[in-house]
Amino acid sequence: MITLKNVTKRYKLNKVDTITAVEDINITFNEGEIIVLKGASGSGKSTILSLIAALSKPTSGEVIVDTKGISKLPDNFASIYRRDNIGFIFQKYNLIPNISVQENILTPLIPLNLNAEELQKKLHFVMEMYKIEHKKDTLVRNLSGGEQQRVAIARANVNNPKIIIADEPTANLDEKLSLHFIEMLRELKALGKTVIIATHDPLFFDLDFIDREIEVHNGKLLL
Amino acid sequence: MILSPEVLTIFILNAIFAIFATIAFILSVKIVLKWDINATTQTQYSLEKYSYLSATIIKYIFAIKVPLFLFFIFTLDKISAVLTGAMCGAGVVDATEYGNYLFILKIINLYLFAYWIVLHNEDVKDEKQAFTKRKFMFFIVAFFFLLTELIVEGIMFGSIDLNEMVSCCGTIYSSSSGSYISKIFSVDTSVLLGLFYANYALMVLLYFFKRAYLFSIANILFIIISIITLIVYFGTYIYELPSHHCTFCFLQSDYYYVGYLIYLLLFVGTFYGIVTGLIVMDEKRREKNYKISILFNTLYVILLSLYPIVFYIKNGVWL
Repeated sequence: MITLKNVTKRYKLNKVDTITAVEDINITFNEGEIIVLKGASGSGKSTILSLIAALSKPTSGEVIVDTKGISKLPDNFASIYRRDNIGFIFQKYNLIPNISVQENILTPLIPLNLNAEELQKKLHFVMEMYKIEHKKDTLVRNLSGGEQQRVAIARANVNNPKIIIADEPTANLDEKLSLHFIEMLRELKALGKTVIIATHDPLFFDLDFIDREIEVHNGKLLL
Repeated sequence: MILSPEVLTIFILNAIFAIFATIAFILSVKIVLKWDINATTQTQYSLEKYSYLSATIIKYIFAIKVPLFLFFIFTLDKISAVLTGAMCGAGVVDATEYGNYLFILKIINLYLFAYWIVLHNEDVKDEKQAFTKRKFMFFIVAFFFLLTELIVEGIMFGSIDLNEMVSCCGTIYSSSSGSYISKIFSVDTSVLLGLFYANYALMVLLYFFKRAYLFSIANILFIIISIITLIVYFGTYIYELPSHHCTFCFLQSDYYYVGYLIYLLLFVGTFYGIVTGLIVMDEKRREKNYKISILFNTLYVILLSLYPIVFYIKNGVWL
């Protein structure tokens, strides 16, 4: 369960001016839910994601995941929290183009110092799940858009995170690939993952497996 | 006043220390006054950022201070070449009334900052950051020692008169010099050696019985007794001269820079010994500190003991 309590986040523009990205947000996301945060660019969706992922700290308020106050974690503990609990799917995938598919997928596991057998087991599991095993030695730059998308999702899942965060995951995709991505979300739902998606893509609206759609407007939630 | 490139380097670094340490000091005061780890207010989040910034500044000051201490000794040795009468750094230290105070302050500050680093490492190991307030309170105290050191250092180098003749180490470390150092020569050597080895044996015993506080105290005593025995007894065997007791000359190439090794062993050994009883830490960590302390102190005792033994084997007599 993820709880945001009175969360405000302001960014400093310069010595005098600040911009309020989110203001006094109170919300709870239940385990296994798929939530869509919708709203225009600059509404505060990505800020909410970064706070949940402990990528940034609130200006005031608290983010609690299960019973842990993750917004209070020192940086080294926040990294461990992200490593163990969060899978990221970025707008442009953020894959490393000059290394192979399997190397990209294994990246989040590097700090865990797992042995070769465990790595192969985890790798095999996600590559099979996202039907990318036949391309495991191919350089990412030589993959099609759809294949890169599958690699990105496989990488987000390789450490078996409880929470998956997707920031505008279909912003650069054509409709066919976007629909394909939505189907993969359904599979994540079946696995019991909590998925939070920030998007303004209408394809995500009114889907049967989405638990909640929350509008974000000027840093506030329109519940 | 002496302004060699080495002294200028020290002055510039001291100015940088003063600026950054002041920033860390101001932030430390804010942290000590307002820190509340359970709060989720804007102030607390800001203090957490300040804490990270201050800690980074203090760590870097310490990281530079350790090699800078060696550079300071090197500088004293280098300056001794232009001071009439001085044969090594001891002459430069004795050239002004501030030299000895500065030297003692530098050593105290090294221990203080090293203790702060240990406290900080314990603090960042736990996400509740139990030592944050304590470590910054400690830094506030250490800051004044640091500032005093920087001022005294400026005054010391500023008041060295190149035209004035200074004493050489042979005079300074002499029983007839009339200085406070000369008083230690009045203690019987066998009593000093007895205290030295008894103190070491006590540390070994306390290590086996795991009495952390007593182990810390024994290490503090060991610093004092070690330095006195080094001056009075062991130094003479390093120089193979019964009348030479200098604590600087064995830092020179003539003695294969063995002084650096001696001081390093003593500093590391006693430092880890002292923190064992001063900080609440898990048993694994405490055991590690005990072992490092005993290992370095043992190496120190062996190294110093070897000098008279080897001398006796070679010459068949004691000095």
